[in-house]
Amino acid sequence: MAIAQEHVGRTYPPTEPYEVTAVKVAEFAAALGDPDPRYAGPDAVAPPTFAAVLAATAWQALFEDPELDLALRRVVHGDQRFDFHRLLRVGDRVTATLTIDKVRVRGAADIIGASIAIRTLDDEPVATAVATFFHSREAAA
Amino acid sequence: MSAAAVPADVAVGTELPPLTVRLTRTDLVRYAGASGDLNPIHHSEHFAAAVGLPGVVAHGLLTMGTALRVVTDWVGDPERVRSYAVRFTKPVVVPDDGVGAEVVVTASVVALEGTLATVALEVVAGGQKVLGAARAQVELGG
Repeated sequence: MAIAQEHVGRTYPPTEPYEVTAVKVAEFAAALGDPDPRYAGPDAVAPPTFAAVLAATAWQALFEDPELDLALRRVVHGDQRFDFHRLLRVGDRVTATLTIDKVRVRGAADIIGASIAIRTLDDEPVATAVATFFHSREAAA
Repeated sequence: MSAAAVPADVAVGTELPPLTVRLTRTDLVRYAGASGDLNPIHHSEHFAAAVGLPGVVAHGLLTMGTALRVVTDWVGDPERVRSYAVRFTKPVVVPDDGVGAEVVVTASVVALEGTLATVALEVVAGGQKVLGAARAQVELGG
């Protein structure tokens, strides 16, 4: 079995709740080399691309789904989009839910579009992360 | 930190103050830890070569996140960013020479609808454009 058109629309269960902490936000901002004071302290907001931390957890569902037969080592991240209702902030408790939006098979290459909805545990939408991945199928033996 | 942009001064064609950053291997390790992306192509020469890369490369999302500073520094408030999209066109190769890779970000306003500005970013490393179709939408007003 390999990923195919029939998997479009598949949605995985939300990730385990994730709590945004001041330490993690400061660590992420430092990793971006960004000294903006909005990213420091107990009332900090997270840098916009912090949403990728949640997305990365949600992507695991895709790459670990045995039915799709994807290998992470043969995956290239083609593009990435984020839409923000608001930024994540310290104290938020959120989950990320992945949906397969698009599958195209071109010979040994799969083109996969997936979107991830990040919501608070109170179901407030926070951000959406949309990505395209290029996956090379293992050459037939 | 630059002052917040004054909407009346902003028009299609307005150029943002450019940003030059340097990414070293230490920065890649720091981002790997902060983001949880431990793919060894971002720290191991051996694994990078095994998948045909010219060397250890920066995380695409590190380049993406770093480049957005050109926008958030300009508007003075990251909460004004409404959307941000890029294509990963070329990897940023980060040599283990203590100097790293220089990434140059320039940007200009390409559309303005009311107080919502669309900014196009040009992100260049090693003389090559590393992000394609990079666009951020940012709210300038109130």
